[in-house]
Amino acid sequence: MSAVAALPVAASLGDVAVAPLLLDALVEFLSPTTLAEVLLRGLAEAGLYVMIAAGLTLVFGLMGVLNFAHGSLTMLGAYLGGLALVATVSQSSGPVARLLTFGVALVVAFGALAALGGALEVGLIRPIYDRPPLYQILLTFGLTLMLDELARIVVLFYGLQPTTVWQGVLGTKPAFLAGSVGLAGASVQGLELFQILFGALTVLGVHLFLTRTRYGLFVRAGSEDGEMLSALGVDVRRVFTVVFALGTGIAGAAGVLLAWDPAWGASVPLAAETLLPAFVVVIIGGLGTFRGTVVAALLVGFVDSTMTWWFQNYVDFTGLPEMTIFLILVAMLVVKPQGLYGVSEVGGH
Amino acid sequence: MVLAFAAYPGLYRVLVNSPLSAEFVALLPRVETLVVVLFFALFAMSFDFVSGYTGYLSFGHAAFYGTGAYLVVLAANGVLAFTVPGTGVTLFGPETPFMLLLVLAGVAAAALALAIGSVSFRLSGVYFAMITLGFSQVLYVFVRDWDFVGSAPRDGVAVTGSLEGFEIGVPYVDSLTVSIGQLTGDSVEGLFGFVNLGPTEVSFYAVGAVVLVCYLAMQRLVHSPFGKVMIAIRENEERARAVGYDTYAYKLGAFVISGFFAGVAGALFAGFRRSVTPENGFYFLVAGDALLASIIGGFGTLAGPLYGRLFDEGVREFLSKEGGGGGLLPYLRANLGEGTMATELYNGLTFGEAIDTFLNGHAALYVGLLFVLFVLYVPNGLLGTVRDRLGGRVATVAPAHVRRWLK
Repeated sequence: MSAVAALPVAASLGDVAVAPLLLDALVEFLSPTTLAEVLLRGLAEAGLYVMIAAGLTLVFGLMGVLNFAHGSLTMLGAYLGGLALVATVSQSSGPVARLLTFGVALVVAFGALAALGGALEVGLIRPIYDRPPLYQILLTFGLTLMLDELARIVVLFYGLQPTTVWQGVLGTKPAFLAGSVGLAGASVQGLELFQILFGALTVLGVHLFLTRTRYGLFVRAGSEDGEMLSALGVDVRRVFTVVFALGTGIAGAAGVLLAWDPAWGASVPLAAETLLPAFVVVIIGGLGTFRGTVVAALLVGFVDSTMTWWFQNYVDFTGLPEMTIFLILVAMLVVKPQGLYGVSEVGGH
Repeated sequence: MVLAFAAYPGLYRVLVNSPLSAEFVALLPRVETLVVVLFFALFAMSFDFVSGYTGYLSFGHAAFYGTGAYLVVLAANGVLAFTVPGTGVTLFGPETPFMLLLVLAGVAAAALALAIGSVSFRLSGVYFAMITLGFSQVLYVFVRDWDFVGSAPRDGVAVTGSLEGFEIGVPYVDSLTVSIGQLTGDSVEGLFGFVNLGPTEVSFYAVGAVVLVCYLAMQRLVHSPFGKVMIAIRENEERARAVGYDTYAYKLGAFVISGFFAGVAGALFAGFRRSVTPENGFYFLVAGDALLASIIGGFGTLAGPLYGRLFDEGVREFLSKEGGGGGLLPYLRANLGEGTMATELYNGLTFGEAIDTFLNGHAALYVGLLFVLFVLYVPNGLLGTVRDRLGGRVATVAPAHVRRWLK
């Protein structure tokens, strides 16, 4: 693949001497300011990715269900959260009020999506646990089609969206998140720091859930040996429902954060746009391991921010960051099929 | 079944001109839609060939479809022209006969399948689905942003080189070829003294012929010893290996063959549509549509995807926005009258608006709903269920049933 990927690079550079330019680029890339900026942006990306992927990996780790509807649930979260923000934030709201509203929107989206997720698990996924894993992929894929189309109907009907990015939601950000902040000589978007914070909170929260709570114990035990867990008297079905609800809830919360990011925003195609990176992160980390997901999110985040920098400054190829992410996926699966921290047999796959 | 398809255009014209014209226009898919059904069904069959028979979900199958489609358009625009040294024969050029291009598109897709498959088949299950998805998305992003393809690769490319339709038939024998195309193509008048066909009908038969040949070829493979090994791999791969089959080689073989036919399907698609975009060629949801068709029609039945796609396209057209080929909305608008349409249902929402909101162009919702119901309650799909009921393949069992009925 590398030869193919190099093609447009060579084409765009034309007859300019390649070696000195590359050297210049490297020098500029390695300067402390640039490096700090790229690292921070990478950390912010990683924060988003870990929020998007955490729910997916929880659900897969315990139940072995690869949830294709995860992206659609994130998209619903973005709309719900955005709706709550637009409805409550007015021009006169101060930054503190706006942050508080964001918290409320987060809780609303989490609650609503968790309820929806629980209902979906009980109603649709529970009947087919004893079938081959293929059917769970198929079912959740069908669910994606329905959820996306429903969202599209509602959006069209209420005329929510003349443009792809829902501008109103972006306007509800507090001013200090929209501007940039100086940090260690590098200028960073306030929103990026916010995303780093939320990524860290998600990691901490899920880690505490897994290690400190009763259900977390069930999840860890269930992903090792589900039959033994139910033999010990634990109602595995209820654990599944709770974990599925939790996973979709986190997806919804991630959606709210995405609604504030000008690079994402709330839109129906957001479903596919978040689903694919979430898959990539989960697969690279190793299906069903939370530690792997965190490391993979960091890896993908840093690669993404690095490639974005190269694309903006030296390489004339729009798809560079996106393509590199999928290249990492392919390379990882070729070199280490079970992912970074994965075990080869998870959930019967 | 082949006869039913062959008779359809004539039947359609008769029915549309009959007293129940409006109803039939609304209910029946147009002939043009059927052409779309045909070449996409070939793609869905090729997907089913590898996924339904070996059990490996190839989620990046769109890569092969897109390869075939792009190859045809680029060749017609003269971007890819390549002359074989010494012979003067141009491959991938605007002058290359379309039949040859079909085969070349298949070969290119098969070569790509060989490359992707040889790496991917070290994995299984979800991992296999993911790595094929990864490969196809790499290609999708690449094609979307590669300015070699066209000046605005994001919007896709169209055939600009020639206004002529692509010719299906025997190359260099003019009397045995017909042109196909959505905007251009042959029409036949006075065949056998009484048959008149418009460009769409000619395209329908020509595309149908290619699809039929491909289907029969795959059908032959599925019922050969090779196909039996594929099914053995699906049922229990370890046992198949223990019996002594090199399962890796068989899986890869099936994948390459499937890639070939997917490439042909893509080439037909580009030949008929005369344009292709990254979204309808390489995007992973294209493979998702093939999956949809396979599941509704019957996973692991080669002919099933055709019915699945027919159903899918039929519903989509029935609920489509444009009145061009009929559909529910124009029919209701024409026949219900202003009073009914303006009736208020709920909170200022009139009946007309309700139809507009919930039906107009939102077929994906209902197709998705049906898909979920199929996965839950009809896991074998339309054709698979019919076969289960009859206790065998339709063609072999049906005559006996009919005979019993007649007694």
